[in-house]
Amino acid sequence: MGVPMDVRAQFAELTTPHLAAAYNLAFWITRSRADAEDVVQDAYLRAWRGFGGFRGGPMLPWLLAIVRNAAYRWMSTHRHAGNVVSLDTLFLGDDGMPGRAMQIAADTPTAEAAMIAASENAHVMRALASLPPVLREILVLREIEGMSYHDIALTTGSPAGTVMSRLSRARLALRRALTGAGEKDSQHAM
Amino acid sequence: MQCEQAQMLIGALIDNVLAGQQRRVLLAHMCSCARCAALEAGMRADGPAVAGLGRVVLPDGLRDRVNAQLDRAGIAEDAAWAEPVSRPLPALSNWLSPGLLRQAAMLVLACGLSSAATWWVTANRMHDSQIVHDVLAAHVRSLLQEAPIQIASSDAHTVKPWLVGRVDFAPEVRDLSAEGFPLLGGRLDYIDGRRVAVMVYKRRLHTINVFAWLTEGAADTAPRLVVRNGYSLVTWTQGGVARAAISDVNSDELLMLQKLL
Repeated sequence: MGVPMDVRAQFAELTTPHLAAAYNLAFWITRSRADAEDVVQDAYLRAWRGFGGFRGGPMLPWLLAIVRNAAYRWMSTHRHAGNVVSLDTLFLGDDGMPGRAMQIAADTPTAEAAMIAASENAHVMRALASLPPVLREILVLREIEGMSYHDIALTTGSPAGTVMSRLSRARLALRRALTGAGEKDSQHAM
Repeated sequence: MQCEQAQMLIGALIDNVLAGQQRRVLLAHMCSCARCAALEAGMRADGPAVAGLGRVVLPDGLRDRVNAQLDRAGIAEDAAWAEPVSRPLPALSNWLSPGLLRQAAMLVLACGLSSAATWWVTANRMHDSQIVHDVLAAHVRSLLQEAPIQIASSDAHTVKPWLVGRVDFAPEVRDLSAEGFPLLGGRLDYIDGRRVAVMVYKRRLHTINVFAWLTEGAADTAPRLVVRNGYSLVTWTQGGVARAAISDVNSDELLMLQKLL
């Protein structure tokens, strides 16, 4: 009985620091905070069950590969209509009340700079969210998580050459989304 | 370098994974192409912009919920770990229940049968069309040559011995002058990867080639008429010998010859 508890502690020690990265990736694949929570819970359970198969090495790619699979599985089972999600989830909280970005915008006196920053962020968020999932995820892994090509290849289970070309496509698509989306109505750009 | 090609490489340049010739060519291209240079500048700024988003804020309590769930699972796993041998067995036997096994076996069987049938049908069809193709090609080739015959004789008893020494069986050769199909002679040709005997007949001004080759063990088949490129072609098998008659005469006359042979 002593050994499993050690394993449990070891698992917690290795995976808990990556919870935010896992949730972030799940959010950017599903584009929904609520779905991302479910995905992360599912992924951590799967990771724990598959922990026996973890052969050391970097934990983050191994864990994110599981999160990624869980997210895609979640999308295919829970969203037969495809990827059509209102970006309201980005700006509204789970309860339908205005989320962080809008609350900042509503705080009149102090945070004008913050508001501008937030609106710039919102612009980037919308552009990123408008890309296909494989392009979103690779940008998130590269730019937000700062992962190497090698680790991205481990996470996505694709060869390094694919990572390079997909990242190029993603950068190009993001650039187009950023330059194109600026002209449209900002709230409902999609 | 084309812009499209360059645009696919800019990402690699930004990540410093582009080297050598490609890097030089891309840099040279951007010197001369303002659009691609602007794109590169924009893409260079996009990276930090995305990075600036940071991670989405972790919802309150998610960490606790994940841990609680793992603890629950961990307790279950602990119990299982206490008896290491018994753990995988129930799972395995669940999967391999007789019903599931039977279903799986049926599926495998059905897949196997259907692919075997498909293979059989397509392989036969391909073989048939290969023969049709070869016969047609040989016939046209014979018409392109000055003389479609190697042994010119209207005497079946001259043509047959000539063929017998050259193919691996003794084809039946008949002079059908009386029926309006005078024998011109014979030659050798190559159909479906083998040497075959050809009897050349005439019908008015039309040349008719009758190919014959041995098909050991093949059952007799009724004549089958196909029309390709304006040529009529009748194939049939009789007594272990496959034949194909081809000509530009009308198919009724060709079928008439087939009955006479």
